[in-house]
Amino acid sequence: MSASVSNASLTSGKSGLALRRTIVSTVGWAACLMALALVIFPLLDIVGVVAINGMAAINWDLFTKDTGGTNLGLANAIEGTFIITIFAMLIAMPIGVGAGVYLSEYGKNKTGSTIRFLADVLTGTPSIVLGYFSYIVFIISFGWGFSLAAAAITIAILIVPYLARITELALAQVPNTMREAAYALGGRDSTVVFKVILPAASSGVITGALLALAISVGETAPLIYTAGWSDYRWNGQFTNSPVAYLTYVIWTFINQPDAHSHALAYAAAFLVMLIVLAINIGVRLTVRRGPRAG
Amino acid sequence: MKLRPFRLSVLILSLFIPAALAAVVLFLVAYSGQAIIFNGLHFITGITWNLGDLYDNPVMVRGIQVPAGAEYGILAFVVGTLASSAIAILIAVPLSAGTAIFLSEAVPELERASRSVLPWLPPIRPVLAMLVELVAVVPSVVFGLWGIAVLVPFIGHYISPTGNGYGLLAASIVLALMITPIIASTLYDALCQVPKENRESAFALGATHFEVVTKAMIPMVRTTLMGGVVLALGRALGETMAVLMVSGGGINMLPTSLFSPISTIASFIVSQLDSAESDPTNMSVRALSEIALVLFLITLAVNAGAKLLSSGAFNVRKRQ
Amino acid sequence: MKLSKLLRTGIAALAITTGATAAHASTMRLSETGSSLLYPLFNLWVPAYTAKNPDVSITTASTGSGTGIAQSIKNLVQIGASDAYLSDAMVKFHPAMLSIPLAISSQAINYNLPGISHLNLSGPILAGIYMGKITKWNDPAIAAANPGVALPDHVIIPIHRVDGSGDTFIFSQYLAFSDKAWGNTLHYGTSISWPAVAGGIGANGNPGMVTALQNNPYGVAYIGISFAKQVAAAHLGQAALLNKAGNYVLPTPETISDASSSVANTTPPDERISIVFTPGTNAYPIVNYEYAIVNSKMTNKKEAAAVRDFLTWAVNDGNAMSFMTQVHFLPLPDSVKALTLKQIDSIK
Repeated sequence: MSASVSNASLTSGKSGLALRRTIVSTVGWAACLMALALVIFPLLDIVGVVAINGMAAINWDLFTKDTGGTNLGLANAIEGTFIITIFAMLIAMPIGVGAGVYLSEYGKNKTGSTIRFLADVLTGTPSIVLGYFSYIVFIISFGWGFSLAAAAITIAILIVPYLARITELALAQVPNTMREAAYALGGRDSTVVFKVILPAASSGVITGALLALAISVGETAPLIYTAGWSDYRWNGQFTNSPVAYLTYVIWTFINQPDAHSHALAYAAAFLVMLIVLAINIGVRLTVRRGPRAG
Repeated sequence: MKLRPFRLSVLILSLFIPAALAAVVLFLVAYSGQAIIFNGLHFITGITWNLGDLYDNPVMVRGIQVPAGAEYGILAFVVGTLASSAIAILIAVPLSAGTAIFLSEAVPELERASRSVLPWLPPIRPVLAMLVELVAVVPSVVFGLWGIAVLVPFIGHYISPTGNGYGLLAASIVLALMITPIIASTLYDALCQVPKENRESAFALGATHFEVVTKAMIPMVRTTLMGGVVLALGRALGETMAVLMVSGGGINMLPTSLFSPISTIASFIVSQLDSAESDPTNMSVRALSEIALVLFLITLAVNAGAKLLSSGAFNVRKRQ
Repeated sequence: MKLSKLLRTGIAALAITTGATAAHASTMRLSETGSSLLYPLFNLWVPAYTAKNPDVSITTASTGSGTGIAQSIKNLVQIGASDAYLSDAMVKFHPAMLSIPLAISSQAINYNLPGISHLNLSGPILAGIYMGKITKWNDPAIAAANPGVALPDHVIIPIHRVDGSGDTFIFSQYLAFSDKAWGNTLHYGTSISWPAVAGGIGANGNPGMVTALQNNPYGVAYIGISFAKQVAAAHLGQAALLNKAGNYVLPTPETISDASSSVANTTPPDERISIVFTPGTNAYPIVNYEYAIVNSKMTNKKEAAAVRDFLTWAVNDGNAMSFMTQVHFLPLPDSVKALTLKQIDSIK
């Protein structure tokens, strides 16, 4: 901000134009600050509501006891969310990042733009539709029953397009000079991608992965019809065994009449936030080292 | 063409996306087939939605078994979806742009200036960036709860002429809050990556800092902005729970003002699915599948439109 | 990338936790899903029952009555919970499915009228409000039902559920049974094609209804009786409703059991009957059986035996007042309980 003022005064003289430019700049910065405030305050309020109500409900039972209806803890739901997310990410990461690499590096053609377009369309498909699709196909037709397999695949379908598009957008910011240099040194396609381009764009790719992770931890609708719900821990089976998850607790317990259910719902919401925050910080600490492009 | 195994393998990976989409669409078309025949064009033009009397005996209409009195017209939900998403984007884009610009350009200078006075000041940027990312994971039910506890009474007291806060505006604002982090964080990342040379040459030409941002940097990140907006739009079109909780659940009517109750397609599907499942003829679920198909077509059209608007912009890298 | 390492550690940790829980596999696992109204009662029942029967584990879930019906038909769950009995057509398509009453529930009509502590309403008045024919609180029809009450000259805000709901089912039954215009056009069901009423709004779930009524002075809403505490805490009024005998009654244990006993002798063997708008002198008009929807021809005989045992316990020990008062439900009358036990015994 100080730069805007000093720059303007350096070049200004006394002309009306310069004055107008200064005013436009000042008003512009003020507008940006206001936008920030308008975004931050409601979001702080929302995060704060979750944090305050959630922290009040945190106790050791949450992590050691299963839900048992709406009576006890959240251990089964916490475990289930982790399992579903991990398997969904295991399926989605290679596909999503691979697709992103294709779109950015070799996708400047009809095939690429078609896939890009369809990926954007897929992100717009409401998650409940994906959930119902999986319900009819995997749960009913394939006879999998409510299951981890169906849940992880559904979530993977949901997050792959996000991963692909964000990876692509991140790779697109890597300057061409880096590619040219790598190829000039005799690098093969895979070497150029893995050793040069992906590392250079790592922070963007990780942003994409974190967003995907966040979506898979935070989704409810596609899981209701695929994971089902269980008041007990996962029994290690991939089919015909329902799995618990935190968002079900939020979605359902908040509609209960008693205060204890509400407390568990907020605790679950808070845990969802904490989990993602922890992953977020952890990953950023380990990976945010590489030089940024440009 | 020379065989390039790496390129081929990433191509195959990326083909999963059209494959998944094709599977879902084929499923929707096959599943809603009877509903498409039963409804005809009236589906799109009608504004009356009635599951019919699910407790009476089904009747035969044009050779298809349906609940008595069933009528499926979704124009109101199409309008509600487009209006709420459009307004949400109109609110979110300037807010995101302002936020991203301020975070990437003004905050570093403020920090530098204030650090001499307050050396213990925590780094503002990562904290704010983290907050923005955190919001992406707040479950949409929580947005809905915040909506009915804070936003809806606010609109009712201060904005709405009728005193009722539920409706189009509330739904749009909640959607805007949900998608702002997506647009803002992609834009913020892009602004941070604008090459130094571009900024500096603009400064050297005597531009003010704000002019550097608006005239030199924003045009460079247009692609990313457009991409972020399309992603956000997809999320807004598909959002269910938060919208369901604040939109006032308008049915059988077109919205006439910002304060009219509305339903969006996605939230309506969620709200009707449970009742539809108790329909012995299964026509209700088929009609809901047909709505999902329409939403898919809308998403297709929106994306096509966005692509036309930014045609050529996707290959912007050449200009860097 | 380090992500893969992170994932690997995660999976290793998972393998350990899941190994520890494999012991559950030997117990009989049952699943219940459906009605959100029955959900709190099941959550009281299951811990009490499994404490005595440690070899059975029962998962409860709140997904909605329609889902409960659909998933029990598809054998995805053993017990579907529903606020509504199966329709004739449903029984014709799926003759093995039973509708088994487990308890009695009811619903209040609540209003937000500053300064008015008692209000009489009737089915035709509510039908008029929700169809947009009665738009103001000082409408002659409402005034006639409330002599001496200073009704405000203000637009009525009718609030309905946007999600499919057993509450909508019994509310619309009250309107359909007591008002011809409603009965002939809008019928009853868990979702209604609500007429467009200026100012009318929809809310999600019973908590959403309470909040919406709080947010909207001059509103009226139908709210499940289990939320009576929240409604009272929000200082919302509870309307007395006109019953079939022509009396205005509030929902109390007495008026609700009056309603259920008035159909106790007419309940058919398959127990698919409405308790809405029944003839008793002091019968509260919006009362219903809460049902378990169960397949009488199960593929797994052990599961069938476990379901029989649990449901039998539920209508005997589970109908004790200590459970019922916590959710504002009432136990089944004896004659109905006999029919219910007969149905439960037919689960094979």
